[in-house]
Amino acid sequence: MKLENEDALDHYIICHQCFTLQKEIDIADGTKACCAECGGLLYRYDSKLIDHTLAWSMTGIIFFVLANAFPLIKIDLLGSEQFITLPKTIASLFENGFYVVGFFCIFLIFIFPLMIFLINILIFSLLKMGKGEKATKELLILLSHIKPWGMADIFFISILVALVKLIAFGQIHIGVSFWALMIFVMIDIYITKNIQLHEIWMLRKRIFLAQKCEEATA
Amino acid sequence: MIEVKEEDLIRCPVCDAVNINKGKENVCRRCGSAIYRHRKFNTEKSWAFLVTAIIAYIPANLYPMLITSAFGNREGSTILGGVVLLWELESYPVAIIIFIASILIPVMKFLILIYLLISVKYPLGKDKKINKHKLYYMTEVIGPWSMIDVFVVAILAALIHLSSVEILAGTAATAFAISVFFTLLAAHAFDETLIKDNR
Repeated sequence: MKLENEDALDHYIICHQCFTLQKEIDIADGTKACCAECGGLLYRYDSKLIDHTLAWSMTGIIFFVLANAFPLIKIDLLGSEQFITLPKTIASLFENGFYVVGFFCIFLIFIFPLMIFLINILIFSLLKMGKGEKATKELLILLSHIKPWGMADIFFISILVALVKLIAFGQIHIGVSFWALMIFVMIDIYITKNIQLHEIWMLRKRIFLAQKCEEATA
Repeated sequence: MIEVKEEDLIRCPVCDAVNINKGKENVCRRCGSAIYRHRKFNTEKSWAFLVTAIIAYIPANLYPMLITSAFGNREGSTILGGVVLLWELESYPVAIIIFIASILIPVMKFLILIYLLISVKYPLGKDKKINKHKLYYMTEVIGPWSMIDVFVVAILAALIHLSSVEILAGTAATAFAISVFFTLLAAHAFDETLIKDNR
């Protein structure tokens, strides 16, 4: 294989699933490229990636706030009504002395999902303004470290499992927060699973390269 | 003009950029992070995390995960006990979910990681019948799902909190959370380029 220089490697991509080398080709707006070997998603092309992601992340943050502010599940138990909110669930673990589990929960279902959204907003607003070449790089590295640890979707499935177990105890009411969390989890899955980091890196490269060209001609 | 062999191209684990494998001191040309730099002890880190996870998985199965106390009766149930109980109560879907999440996935992850770690050092399964990259990708995807049981216990313990009826988290919850955490670390620490070198 012959290459102009090392930067020419940007036209190649290695599949996440089966590690085969693939050449990047131009694809139509709104479509995605899949691996020829195993069919795994390689990258997508979205000409309005910045606006779409900004809109989704902001919606996600709004629903995250809603999901934390209202009760998640209510239960009538021996005549008294009990309810939990998301922060209360974690706080009760600390009250009962389960510090390790509490710490895991705080990070996995609260801090990391929130951070993924905040970092996405930061990166894409910086890219939209065309500023912060170094800052976006650091943020992208941070994002890729955090991404595997966001477990909001798993927490949501856990709520469903818990609901089934609770039927034996008493009348269950599903709170506002449950629906807010459901929408948040859907957006979270879209943001983390569908938008590939590779796309953001390529977008960043295009934006700052175009800037440098303009500076050079001016 | 530079000439590279296709086998010498590796992927940066942080930013996915394609890089040329230059040997011991690989630094990603795009994000600047080290690409599996500890070549001398490349599998040991992963082994260490994996052994810790397996050790933590033992108390997770022996101690009670959930302690139900109703009107003075305290009753603890282990992970397996909980699954059996749910099965007897005829809530089959939940029993299956818990069984898959807290027994099948962790054990499968241990076995797959052990197989991968051995196979990159010793000639094992070189016949390409099993795609090891796919196997590794699978462990990465299904791994976090074993946290389900821990979260369920957290929700139940926070919700059922009366003086007469109470659910408490057991010792196993801590052990299990630690076990899952270390399996995830072990999977992340695994050097995927080794599969390629030993194919």
